[in-house]
Amino acid sequence: MKPTKKNLMRVIEVGWINFKRNSWLAFGTIGIMVLTLLIFVGLVAFNIVSRTTIASLEEKVDITAYLKTNVSDDQASEIVNELENLPEISYVNYVSREEALEEFKKRHADEELVQQALLELGENPLQASLEIKAGETAQYASLVSFIEKSDFSNLIDKIDFYENSTVISRIQKISSGLRVGGILVTLILSLIAVLVTFNTIRLTIYSQKQEIEIMRLVGASNWHIRGPFVVEGALYGIIAGLAVLIIFYPMVYLVSPRVQSFIPSMDLANYFSNFFGQMGLLVLGSGIALGVVSSVIAVRRYLKI
Amino acid sequence: MITFEKVIKEYNGGQKSYRALDDINLEIKDGEFVSIIGPSGAGKSTLLKMLIREEVPSGGQITVDNINVPELTDSEVPYLRRKIGTIFQDFKLLTNKTSFENVAFALEVVGADEEQIKTDVPKVLRIVGMDEKFENFPHQLSGGERQRIAIARALIHRPKILLADEPTGNLDLLNTFDVIKLLMKINEFGTTVVLASHDREVVNAVGQRVITMDKGKVVKDQEQGKYTI
Ligand SMILES: Nc1ncnc2c1ncn2[C@@H]1O[C@H](COP(=O)(O)OP(=O)(O)OP(=O)(O)O)[C@@H](O)[C@H]1O
Ligand SMILES: [Mg+2]
Repeated sequence: MKPTKKNLMRVIEVGWINFKRNSWLAFGTIGIMVLTLLIFVGLVAFNIVSRTTIASLEEKVDITAYLKTNVSDDQASEIVNELENLPEISYVNYVSREEALEEFKKRHADEELVQQALLELGENPLQASLEIKAGETAQYASLVSFIEKSDFSNLIDKIDFYENSTVISRIQKISSGLRVGGILVTLILSLIAVLVTFNTIRLTIYSQKQEIEIMRLVGASNWHIRGPFVVEGALYGIIAGLAVLIIFYPMVYLVSPRVQSFIPSMDLANYFSNFFGQMGLLVLGSGIALGVVSSVIAVRRYLKI
Repeated sequence: MITFEKVIKEYNGGQKSYRALDDINLEIKDGEFVSIIGPSGAGKSTLLKMLIREEVPSGGQITVDNINVPELTDSEVPYLRRKIGTIFQDFKLLTNKTSFENVAFALEVVGADEEQIKTDVPKVLRIVGMDEKFENFPHQLSGGERQRIAIARALIHRPKILLADEPTGNLDLLNTFDVIKLLMKINEFGTTVVLASHDREVVNAVGQRVITMDKGKVVKDQEQGKYTI
């Protein structure tokens, strides 16, 4: 018998009836699927967060070389020229003492006390500096040592750099560790979900033994016999997927402002809203895949044709 | 036509295998009513199971209407089973369905439409004499009536062959002969009937070809036979 639309409706209907009959088992099956999918989605979300964090930190990395106060503008521009010739360097900016002071004043414009202190000091307390960016994060360390050993090193007071680089490498280490852990947990939970679903379908098959025997006897086609069980498995996956979306999205909107206050460039709510379609497909697709794989295995093992 | 050629069946029960059928050679022509008799364990049920590919032979050839049964793929088997109706000692009715629904079920699961179910089911229930009890559940029917419903279900695909494995084993004398008469009527309409039984009365009542089996072998094949031990 060809899978016509009417036959398909019947197969889906029987699958739905099986599903309803099993409601308690179904509850547990869907529960474990929800857990699996949540961890999986969490992993995806975490990946996005850690990647954005690292990117925004890398953006910020630069070397600030503070020049001694006695260095003239001419000497400074010579250093700039020399640095600009280095291939590793993507950007050099000279900030003179006057510019630094302007910047400082602007930043503390509202603070009477600071302005007062500056006036009382009389002279410019700030140093001129060079802001340097490298093409790649890995090149900063060698750049710093190059500057420290160069013939203009005696003009430089101190170099600011190390802090960001250690933060980045720490985040990278943590995030790759968490990612491996997350993948492992997702895999283990997927396996458990498949086993639990498999068992539920197996029990449905046993409870339908009589019907199955008669279906075979009267020549029901194989997909008429097997189809409802696969539909049942897919239904578990669809419901689990919907539940996960219903849990995940409010959570994102709740957490998003807090995350954004740490990392301003990361707008999780906006990000996941934009990708709602893709997330929906990913979650439902994974759910259906889990359910269908489990039921196909159960049907292959326990349903004689 | 049904043919068996050098058919062997070995069941693997634990370590040792058991030969349930041993070199069976048979030919059953269209429209025949064949009774297979023999003591318990002779291999009668095994023989019938081969025809609907419930079991596959360990050796030899089986054909039904020139279809090579052991060679069928899984997806072809349902079409074979629609050509062959089957009834059993224990009726195999669904307890939560009415007479009508039990027969309709056989149509539903092959994708028949409402229209066909509405016309065919009452027709076949009338043939088996059950047109009064459409709404009864199996527990509201006598054994003989249940077997009639099972026969109606077996007939719903208009099979060319009807297999009956000990169909009267659970019935009293009166019901037994009712069912046998019904099988004979179905045979008169042109359906090949293969009946397995170890009841001498039943086989004598049919009074047609009798194949006697013992220990997996055909020991006697008589036209118009009488059952002898
Ligand atoms: N699935 C099986 N596995 C192992 N042995 C089996 C199996 N089915 C049947 N047998 C054996 O094969 C032999 C023939 O069995 P079969 O059911 O064909 O006998 P039968 O003639 O129908 O007997 P009865 O009159 O009691 O129904 C028996 O000895 C039985 O134990
Ligand atoms: Mg038997």
